[in-house]
Amino acid sequence: MLYINDLTKNYGSFTAVDHLTLHIPEGDLFGFMGPNGAGKTTTIRMICGLLKASGGAVRIGGTSAAVGSKEMKRLIGYVPDFFGVYDNLKVREYMDLYGSMYGMRSRDIARIADDLLELVNLSDKKEIYVDTLSRGMKQRLCVARALLHNPKLLILDEPSSGLDPRARVEMKELLKNLHSMGKTIVISSHILSELAEMCNSIGIMNRGRLVTAGRIEDVMQQLAGGKRIHIHIVSDMDTAVRIMKEQAGAAVESVRENEMIISHGGTDEEICNLIGQLIQNGVTLTGFHREEGNLESLFMQLTGGSTQ
Amino acid sequence: MKIRWNPIVKKDMQVAARSMRLSWGLFAYEAILAMAFLLAMAVIQASSANIYNNGNVYSSLVSLFPILAVAQVCIVALIVPIITASSISGERERQTLDIMLTTCMSPFSIVVGKVISAVLRILFFVAASTPIMALAFVVGGLSWGHLFWFLLTIILLSVFSGSIGILCSALCRRSITAVILSFAFYFMIFVLTFLPLLIKAALGSRSAGETPLFLLFNPIVFFEEFFMQIMTGKSLLGGAGYMFSKSDVGFITYHLTTGKAWMLVSAACILLLSLVFMLAAAWKVNPMHSSSGRKRRKARKA
Repeated sequence: MLYINDLTKNYGSFTAVDHLTLHIPEGDLFGFMGPNGAGKTTTIRMICGLLKASGGAVRIGGTSAAVGSKEMKRLIGYVPDFFGVYDNLKVREYMDLYGSMYGMRSRDIARIADDLLELVNLSDKKEIYVDTLSRGMKQRLCVARALLHNPKLLILDEPSSGLDPRARVEMKELLKNLHSMGKTIVISSHILSELAEMCNSIGIMNRGRLVTAGRIEDVMQQLAGGKRIHIHIVSDMDTAVRIMKEQAGAAVESVRENEMIISHGGTDEEICNLIGQLIQNGVTLTGFHREEGNLESLFMQLTGGSTQ
Repeated sequence: MKIRWNPIVKKDMQVAARSMRLSWGLFAYEAILAMAFLLAMAVIQASSANIYNNGNVYSSLVSLFPILAVAQVCIVALIVPIITASSISGERERQTLDIMLTTCMSPFSIVVGKVISAVLRILFFVAASTPIMALAFVVGGLSWGHLFWFLLTIILLSVFSGSIGILCSALCRRSITAVILSFAFYFMIFVLTFLPLLIKAALGSRSAGETPLFLLFNPIVFFEEFFMQIMTGKSLLGGAGYMFSKSDVGFITYHLTTGKAWMLVSAACILLLSLVFMLAAAWKVNPMHSSSGRKRRKARKA
């Protein structure tokens, strides 16, 4: 769906985005992560045609339209991290304004806006002035506005920033809904747990470079935590430690009373073989499990300990 | 075929119509014009009484029109840059410009929409002042045709002032800076168009040559010419003989300053200049062209 090839943005000698190459398949909910200054917003702005790239290319779907062209703009729905409102403009008029900016007919706008406002739970606010809505409602309205022209790709830049917990949950549910409807969504956020719950693929940026990207479980596999295996041993811990130390590619990390933690970069099959060797050598064990990684530790690891 | 409104115009008119600022602005506009009217009447009456000693004011009432028209033009020249200079920068301040730029509207449509909405708001003011202006026309003996031409002149000047305002708005981040810059720009155009003529005179040249042609771009000279045509039917620069004879100026200038040619060509030049300003504003607004805004973007979280 979204193909980013060698995208670069330089400000003089400072490189904000450094040769970014990324592919986001259709129907994905992609989470863009990175510390402040990593280049996420710059990348999003370049995709949306709000910033001229110093180099590289962006392509959406099968089109070869240039970034910033009308064809490209029709394919993208953009929700920024702020919500600018006009005084004295009602929700219905707000939708009408942006619909007409996409060249839609008033009748179509009214029909689609009704559906979208229902989707974002704002159908009873049509005649309310936009500036009187709560921040959460404004953000949901912004999502509805971005979907008016039925874009192929929805891009949200920090949609949950400044929202209260309830509004965050509502926003998360809304995005999950959209994802289940088959929309391709790119979302940048600092709230990693939220991304972990919603997204099926992620990309982590640091200092303008894409550190890693892919399906969330694949990325987790890269985590040291993902390689750590906890083995629950009932008897003969010494033999177990000796056998593990003899294994190439395995390292004993810690030994507790009934548990040994090893790191092993191999496949599940190789780990099963290893466990089998322990059993054959008389080690009694009750079970083993792979330590689950989490997005926070992955993020900290890949961004060199940078915090938000 | 159904005419499609520029969405910006529709939105701006909707927002403006609900704002108290419009009501207060109208009140102030009407009040100033009414005051100018009453003051002019008083002055005319007093001067007529002195000259003829019989208090007959009718022969002097014709000067009510220029007084009111100048008052209107001055107010328009003040208001339009304020409206347009805060339009693009105002969208930036409200953070709505980015969203607008991600839609299918081209930067030029956005700029044109902003100028049109400013002109429409001015027309609203002008329409509201019609009763006062009509008094000047009725007692001053001017025709409705003159009123029509006056309206066109106001539109032309609004477009010109609006295009300057919008360019400054595109150049500046803050609305107040844009307003100040647009007045400075306005003044600069006035001075720069006179500059070649003044330089020629300072150098002691007997003939101005074609340097007065720069005045074609001067909206104030255009308005003066418009008044001369309305009031006397002659050209300020040529036929009336106030400034040039055949030996004073070049061939093109001399022939342009006879009849109504100057006014028409000047109107075209002013429109052309307005178009250039609007194109420049659109170029500046277009993120795919603009190389500036670097500080802004760097300041934003990357």
